[in-house]
Amino acid sequence: MANLMPKRRLENIGLGITGFCVALVALVVVTLIFMVAQQGLTTFFVDGLNPIDFFFGQNWIPEQERYGALPMIVGSFAVTLLSTVFALPVAIGSAIFVVEVAPTFGRRVFQPFIELLVGIPSVVYGVLGLYVINSLVKAIFGDAAPTGAGILSGSLVLAIMILPTITTLSMDALRAVPNQYREGSYALGCTRWQTTWHVVLKSALPSLMTAVILGMTRAFGETLAVQMVIGGVERSMPTGLLDPASTLTAALTAGLSNATSGSVYYHALWSLGLILLAMSLVFILIIHLIGRKGAKANG
Amino acid sequence: MASSRSAELDAHVRRIDSQDKVATGVLTVIVGLVMLLVVAIIAYILIRGAGRALTPGFLTNPYNDDVAPGILYQLWDSFYMLLVTLVISVPISLGAAIFLVEYAPDNWVTSAAKTAIETLSSLPSIVVGMFGSLFFVVTLGWGISILAGACALTMFNIPILVRTIQQALEDVPRSQRDAALAMGLTRWETTINVLLPAAMPAIVTGIVLSAGRVFGEAAALIFTAGSAPARLNFGSLNFLSPTNPFNIFRPACSLAVYIWRLTSEPTAGSTEIVWGTATVLLVCVLLFNLLARLLGKLLSRRLTAE
Amino acid sequence: MSKLDLSRRQFLGVFGATAAVAGLAACNGTTTSTGEGDAEGDAAEATLSGSISCSGATSFQPLVEAAADDFMEANPDVSIAISAGGSGQGLSQIAEGSVQIGRSDVYAEEKLEADQCEGLVDNQVCIVGMGPIVNASVDVDDITSDQLKGIFLGQVTNWSELGGSDAPIQVIQREAGSGTRATFEAAVLGGETAPDSFRPVAEVDSSGTVVEQVAATDGAISYVAFNYMENDGIKALTVDGIEPTQANVESGDFTIWAYEHMYTREDEDESTAAVTQAFIEFIMSDDFAETVVEQGFIPMGDMQVKKDADGNITAA
Repeated sequence: MANLMPKRRLENIGLGITGFCVALVALVVVTLIFMVAQQGLTTFFVDGLNPIDFFFGQNWIPEQERYGALPMIVGSFAVTLLSTVFALPVAIGSAIFVVEVAPTFGRRVFQPFIELLVGIPSVVYGVLGLYVINSLVKAIFGDAAPTGAGILSGSLVLAIMILPTITTLSMDALRAVPNQYREGSYALGCTRWQTTWHVVLKSALPSLMTAVILGMTRAFGETLAVQMVIGGVERSMPTGLLDPASTLTAALTAGLSNATSGSVYYHALWSLGLILLAMSLVFILIIHLIGRKGAKANG
Repeated sequence: MASSRSAELDAHVRRIDSQDKVATGVLTVIVGLVMLLVVAIIAYILIRGAGRALTPGFLTNPYNDDVAPGILYQLWDSFYMLLVTLVISVPISLGAAIFLVEYAPDNWVTSAAKTAIETLSSLPSIVVGMFGSLFFVVTLGWGISILAGACALTMFNIPILVRTIQQALEDVPRSQRDAALAMGLTRWETTINVLLPAAMPAIVTGIVLSAGRVFGEAAALIFTAGSAPARLNFGSLNFLSPTNPFNIFRPACSLAVYIWRLTSEPTAGSTEIVWGTATVLLVCVLLFNLLARLLGKLLSRRLTAE
Repeated sequence: MSKLDLSRRQFLGVFGATAAVAGLAACNGTTTSTGEGDAEGDAAEATLSGSISCSGATSFQPLVEAAADDFMEANPDVSIAISAGGSGQGLSQIAEGSVQIGRSDVYAEEKLEADQCEGLVDNQVCIVGMGPIVNASVDVDDITSDQLKGIFLGQVTNWSELGGSDAPIQVIQREAGSGTRATFEAAVLGGETAPDSFRPVAEVDSSGTVVEQVAATDGAISYVAFNYMENDGIKALTVDGIEPTQANVESGDFTIWAYEHMYTREDEDESTAAVTQAFIEFIMSDDFAETVVEQGFIPMGDMQVKKDADGNITAA
């Protein structure tokens, strides 16, 4: 008995140390959610802003004490959806090619290539966007886009940034489709494209959707690259794709250095942060739902 | 009758055949374009910035040098902040990953912890930054400092690290674990003496890869570690002085933040510095990726050789 | 059963430990000041020592950096940490007492609550003049203050209305909350606000970006401080025929200008108060005035007029 005690103590120490680490992480996350919620809700409960005016107000003009977040909410969703539309066909297309058509090339050449894109820091994408994409947009559209900054430029930069995320995850999804499915389809005389389209894509659909949602999560939360190219106009609703606009993240970056802590403006910025936080939780929830549905479909 | 049947079938076969060819063609074009895009992006940055990055003094002069402004301080701050970040985040991630793989009881505590880590991984970095600017900087009273910046980076880094370490531990063959446990080792001893060494190549690779990510992060740092270029004195022995390079309570400006700062507050000639800095940053990140692969290979060869 | 108890206890322990760590860290203190008040030295040459930090507005950060370099050279035991973050950050931090000097382009009362302003000392260290700039291709050189107001209220939208050629006016604004913008709007718009539908083509974060964007955009107009006016691709307009120069600001003829403030605290710790005071006196001294002018700012000494917080100009 006495002999066993040190062993048991050792085990407890191990459990204690590792448990502490996990608890620390959980505690930090809880603190974060609590703090963002507390600061963000102050706007409504202490400063007395009407939540409806906040979420649906079309003008964000801090010097007039008007805090309508709709221009930024619309901006964030616009660039997220548009960049997904740009990136999705390219990402899925490449994933199909390197998994179904040329697997060796995919693993040896394409994968390292696309991983290079993941590694590029977001400010570098921002620099590219600012000096290259904005000039291109300006050159193409002329007076319609006097500075080149706007929703379109922001979406293009984001599309390049989320391309590797969606591509690599889609590749994983397609690879996870059991080979018997393909063999079965070929045995029925189907061509490769028919097999891919009717069998492989269909059975990988839940994982592909997860890949897309993860890409959208990244686009929605991306900060500096977007802020550098979108133009930063928050005061009213954007009216077109070439219009300079702002996103929740861009408004935060620009606003936090000008707002004094404790002011209504500061709390309103935290409310924007709260929207971002809530949206990332929603994205996680969607991924979980897809996962559960996929599991159910597979029995 | 029969011949028209077979003609119909023939047409169908021809149609799906050409459909297949067209699809393959389109996919090939897409992949070609993507690879072209990758090459174009990297080549463009390197070409635009190489001239500046290779200018004598660019890597060794301070930013406020009159003749040839450089990025010495930002380079130092980036690496130093990365080091502090890893010192904080590696032990925590290691512990958390071991808990989740080895101990995690199948109950709500574990699933709550998993959800927490997942939440952390999907948070926009600016939200981490604004939380840091209030919690680390004001509530804990660290001020705008390297420590506050490193903690913000840690929050960003932990989910990546936990996932890779967890994966590495789970990939250790079941038989090794069972053998150790059967010898009467506790789970803790098994982890320390058997699992960790076996998983080490994958863990090191993961850490270096995550270092590349952390190295380029900027949004989480602007309001925690500051965005004004630090002024350093490498001869300073006073560890509390704001000019001492090692003082973790001083503000700092990393390469990525410096790029952001210069693009949002350009001065005469700053565009060239931006491209030069972007090139240096890109090369550093690519080197981290290369290093990760090399280290992983080297370590696993040494381990299997022994 | 015992296992469950254990983990619960461990979790409590974990929470306790974390709280303790947090507490310790809080005790570690906020300021980077490690100054030792050297009161005993000779009255003739009391050496200054200590370190202070100064944060806030970016508009005159280079000026303060230059001052800090000179000042630290003259007083080797002093170290001054200068960080940026914008007027809002500078004011919040001085109000919290986490820095010794908070730089701002605007009066503290405009950004802080009344109770936060208590105990703050307003040091107006120099003056910044601003004026409208346009893209170099714009064929208008003078603008009346009414026209300027009309442009920024969104009423005047084509250069032909100002006697120029037929081209749309592209308004580039500073971001909401910027001190430069507040100064410009106070002096030019006279309390009026642009209609909600009015959209500038960009809202940018800094004067440097304004210059870049105005230079790159045909028909663009914006405003910057005097020290940004000497750039390729842009030109400064005269307002009501008056050139944006230091002399015209000093005489009171040119009215778009503001004070640069360095806020300090009345209750600053004795160990650093002497350094802070000496540093601010140095920036305002005649010796440093040359650098102030060099960097495009206007020293306080030569002003013949003054402006109150509401923007009213009176003879000094």
